Amino acid sequence: MSDPFSINGGAAVAMVGKDCIAIACDTRLGSQSLGLANNFEKVFQMGKTTFLGLTGLATDVITLREDFRLKNNLYKLREEREMEPKTLANLVSTSLYERRFGPYFVSPIVAGLGKGGQPFICGFDLIGCIDFAKDFIVSGTASDQLYGTCESLYEPNLEPEDLFETISQALLNAVDRDALSGWGAVVYVVTKEKVVRRVLRTRQD
Amino acid sequence: MPGLSFDNYQRNQFLAAKGFGTPRATSTGTTIVGCKFAGGVVIAADTRATAGSIVADKNCEKLHRLAPQIWCAGAGTAADTEMVTQLIASNLELHSLSQNRKPRVITALTMLKQHLFKYQGHLGAYLIVAGVDPTGAHLMSVQAHGSTDIGHYQSLGSGSLAAMAVLETHWKPNMTKEEAVQLCAQAIELGIWNDLGSGSNVDVCVMEVGKDAELYRNYKTPNVRESKTRSYKFPRGTTAVLKERSWQVVDEQVVATGEPMEVDA
Amino acid sequence: MEALVQRLAPPPAHVDPDEYDLGADGEGNLNALGVVRGMQVPRVPDPAAFLSTYTNSMSQNPQAKIKLEHGTTTLAFRFRGGIIVSVDSRATAGSYIASGTVKKVIEINKYLLGTMAGGAADCQYWETYLGMRCRMHELRNKERISVAAASKLLANIVYEYKGQGLSMGTMICGWDKTGPAIFYVDSEGTRLKGDVFAVGSGATFAYGVLDQGYSWDLSDEDAQELGRRAIVAAGHRDAYSGNTNNLFHVREDGWEFLGNKDISELWYKYEQEKRDARVAAAAQPGSGEGAQGENPARPTTEVQSVPMEE
Repeated sequence: MSDPFSINGGAAVAMVGKDCIAIACDTRLGSQSLGLANNFEKVFQMGKTTFLGLTGLATDVITLREDFRLKNNLYKLREEREMEPKTLANLVSTSLYERRFGPYFVSPIVAGLGKGGQPFICGFDLIGCIDFAKDFIVSGTASDQLYGTCESLYEPNLEPEDLFETISQALLNAVDRDALSGWGAVVYVVTKEKVVRRVLRTRQD
Repeated sequence: MPGLSFDNYQRNQFLAAKGFGTPRATSTGTTIVGCKFAGGVVIAADTRATAGSIVADKNCEKLHRLAPQIWCAGAGTAADTEMVTQLIASNLELHSLSQNRKPRVITALTMLKQHLFKYQGHLGAYLIVAGVDPTGAHLMSVQAHGSTDIGHYQSLGSGSLAAMAVLETHWKPNMTKEEAVQLCAQAIELGIWNDLGSGSNVDVCVMEVGKDAELYRNYKTPNVRESKTRSYKFPRGTTAVLKERSWQVVDEQVVATGEPMEVDA
Repeated sequence: MEALVQRLAPPPAHVDPDEYDLGADGEGNLNALGVVRGMQVPRVPDPAAFLSTYTNSMSQNPQAKIKLEHGTTTLAFRFRGGIIVSVDSRATAGSYIASGTVKKVIEINKYLLGTMAGGAADCQYWETYLGMRCRMHELRNKERISVAAASKLLANIVYEYKGQGLSMGTMICGWDKTGPAIFYVDSEGTRLKGDVFAVGSGATFAYGVLDQGYSWDLSDEDAQELGRRAIVAAGHRDAYSGNTNNLFHVREDGWEFLGNKDISELWYKYEQEKRDARVAAAAQPGSGEGAQGENPARPTTEVQSVPMEE
C-alpha cells in the first residue's frame, strides 16, 4: 500500500496464442483508495501489430508512454520501417536501465507479431530486466492474482477467439480480487490480418 | 547523454522518505557454478528468476556470452548482470577488433572488476567468468564490489552452499569434459532442490581449447510441469463485451519520394 | 543496560494472577457470571506498540506483515418510518480483497443491530458480548434495554481498552420506548447520538448521497432506496468498499432484512436509469438538454487513447 507501484493501481497481461497474441489492461486510475478515472488505458499501440503495456505509478506511465512514442516515431523516420517487437523490447530495457539508480516505477510488458507473424511477448522489472516468456506475462497491482488465473486458465495454441476469452477471464477474475484494479478493461487481439479491440463489461466497485 | 541518468533520484528519495518504500528489482536467487577440466572449462546455472517470493521467470537465461569463447554465469540483481555483461561484451569486441587478437579471459575479468568497483557495489552483479583464450582455459569469479577470485571450481548465488558441497565432495584434478559437465550439472541440481531461490532447469556451457564454445540450454529439465488433464477453454461469448472495433493490418507501402511520410501526430 | 533489561523484561506482576486464571467456572474470557474478566494482553511493557509492530492495527507501519481486515462502508439513518441500516460486504487485507461476502450488520437481538467497521474480529466479539449483556439486562429488569444504555455499555467496555489496539467504528441501532435511535460508538471512546451516520473508508461518498437525498419525512421505499444508493456510490468510488449491499429496516416490532444485492449490478442499473431519463428528457420538446443536442446515449466507458496510424 505504501510503495509507488500501488498508489494509482492497475493491471496488465499479455498472452500468446496460435499465430496471434493478446494484450489486455484495466482502466482504473486511483489515488490510494479513491477512484479518480475509469478511462485510464495502460496498453498503447506502437506499430501495426506491436503493443506496449505500462502499469505502475501513473505519472511515470504517461511520461514513458510519450517517451516511447517519440523514440518509436524517430525510429520510423530514420529507418523507414516499423520497429520489431524484439527491438522495442530492447529499447524499453535500455531506456529503463539508463535510470538504474533513479528508476521509473513501472512494470512494462511488450506484445506483438515479429517478422513473418511470429508471436512475441515479454515483461520487464523497473530497471529493465527482460523476462522472455512463451506463454503469458503479467504486471500491475493484481499481478499475484494474475499469476494464479493465468497459470490455471492458460493453454498453448489457442485460436484468436478462444485466446480472447481466456485472457479476458484471467484479467477479470484477477482484478475482482484486487482493490486497486478494475473499473473497466480493454483487450487487444492481434493476428497477421487484423487487430480487434474490445471494451469489456466489468465490475464497477 | 552518455552514462546513467540520476534525474529521478531525488524524487524517489523524497518518496522513500515519505514512507513510500523503494521497491526491489527482479533478482536471480541463483545457483551458478564453474569447473575446470583437462583442456577446458565448464559453467552451469539454474533458470529461476524471482521477484520477492514470486517466481517471475521459470526458464530465464543466466549464461551470458562475453566473447565467442568467453562466457559468464550471473547471480544477483538480474538487470545488472544482464546489462554489465552486455556492456563488457561490447567493449571486449571493440578491444579485440582494435588489437586484432582474440580477447582473453583476464581482460574480461579486469574490465568487469574495474567497472563494478567504480560503482562501489551498487551494481549487484556476482559473476563466474570462464573461457578459453590463447593462454589456455580459465575460471574466475567477480563480486559486486569488484573483488575477484581464481580457482579450479567456483560457486556463487543463494544456492552456492548446496552447490559447493557437491564440488568439494566430488571434484578431482584433471577431470574429463564429461566428468566436469556431470559435476556442474549435479551441483546446480542440488541448488535447485535445496535452495528455494533456485529452481527449474540446468543450463550448461562448455568451452574447450581449440573448439567453439557449446551452450547446452536446458541440459537437464527435472521440473517439467505436469500437463492439465482437462481444458479450461471458455465457450466463445463467455465474456460480456461493451464495444468492439477492429482494423485490418495492411502491408507497409513504399513511401514515394517527395511525399511527406505519415507519422503519429 | 538498565534500560535494556527494563525493555526486555516482562511487565511487573502488579496484575492479580487470578485475573488471567479463567478457571473451569467460566468459558473463554468470561467468568462464571458471564462477565469479561480481562483480555489476555501480550506480556510486554507496551502492548499497543507490540501490536503495531506486527499488525497494521493502529499503525501505518508498512513492515507490519499481518494485515487485519479493514475497509468498509456502513451507514444508518433515522427517519419517520424507523431506521435504515445499509452496509457493503467487502473485506480487504492490504489491497487484496479477502472476502466479498462479509456480514457487516451484527444482529444483537430482535430489536438491536450493530454495524461493523474497522477490525472485523473486534466488532464481532464485542457486539456479540454486548448481546449477552443486553439479555442479562432483560432478565434482571424484566424489560428491554434502551439503545442508549446498550450503546453506553459498549462504549464503556471499549474505553477500558483504549490505546491497547482495539479498532472499531460501529453504529448501535434499535427501537426502544423512546422510538428509533442510533448511537455511534468507536474504539477511541466516542459515543454520539444522531440521525444520520456513515462509518468507514467509503463514508464520505455515502454522506454525499445521504445528505443530498435525506429528509425525516421520507417514505419507507424512498428511504430504503436512499440507503442502497449511498452504498452503491461508496462501493463505486472507494477501492476498499464494494461487492454486495445488505439492507435492514428497523421498525417498532424489530428489524427486517431486506436482502442482499450486487453493488456492481445495481450501479449498471442506476446508470441505465440515468440514460433512460436523459433520453426521455431529450424527447421532451423545449427541454434544456434536448435543445443543446447532447447525445443522450453517451457510453460511460469511452476512452481517449494515443492517436495511431490507421
